[in-house]
Amino acid sequence: MKVEYINPFYKATKDIFKLMLDIDPQKKDLKVVEDMIQAKETSVLLGITGDLQGGIMFSFPMDMALEMIKIMSGMDLNVIDSFASSALGEIGNIIGGNALTELSKNNYICNIIPPQIFVGEHRSLSLANEKALLLTLTTPIGDFDLSIFLKAE
Amino acid sequence: MWKDNYKIGVDLIDEQHKELFRRVWEFTRIIRSSENWENRIEQVKKTMDFMKDYVIIHFNDEEAYQEEINYPDIELHKQAHAKFREGINQYVELFENEGFTEEKIQEFGGKLMTWLIVHVGKMDQQIGEYVRSQGGQANES
Repeated sequence: MKVEYINPFYKATKDIFKLMLDIDPQKKDLKVVEDMIQAKETSVLLGITGDLQGGIMFSFPMDMALEMIKIMSGMDLNVIDSFASSALGEIGNIIGGNALTELSKNNYICNIIPPQIFVGEHRSLSLANEKALLLTLTTPIGDFDLSIFLKAE
Repeated sequence: MWKDNYKIGVDLIDEQHKELFRRVWEFTRIIRSSENWENRIEQVKKTMDFMKDYVIIHFNDEEAYQEEINYPDIELHKQAHAKFREGINQYVELFENEGFTEEKIQEFGGKLMTWLIVHVGKMDQQIGEYVRSQGGQANES
């Protein structure tokens, strides 16, 4: 998987976190993995179609996901309800949209499949012998994973 | 929900943004309250009507202001407003056709909050930057 596919997602994630939460995530770890694993409790999966195909997944610890919504809304919450999962999905959608705008500058034209949100389920998506990149980002409210699996058509 | 770093430095727009955030906050508070849904539904509908109208007033005023200052990205901004309105209208239609269910209202509330923060926190900031770059009176924020 080329670096030019990955950087737009990393940059868009940093930009949107800064904008929405006033948090600047830093790279902590980078691994090549065989599956896209939801290692933390709350995940947002975005499918990508077009010149590049695959998906990206954000996986947040529950406390971090709740804290994100609290920072945005100024309200306390203790479960990921429809309101919170919708907001998390939309953050993912906006990050994905910004990344695709960046990719289109390199002539990769892609679309996003609306986000799916998984809470409390540990699942892994098999990539049929392909490899994904697992980037762990650290922030003052917790560490989260950004898994990226994209291949050119 | 409102944060001072969302200010763009143009008083008219900042005041309207604060009002918009206040209304979205109020809407969010009602939809997330633990009181029985049936008791809240009338209030939800009323708040939603207020908010929908206020979004239109605000977008119109903001576009008029952009025309006044010859804002170069006005067309791009109008497109973003149109997309925002369309997002709201899709849910309004859904509620009209399928009724106000708590789950769908919550889903709408989560999106609305996110759209508002991204729009005001990013796109609208560029208006303030333009005014300042022209030596205008946008307050340093």
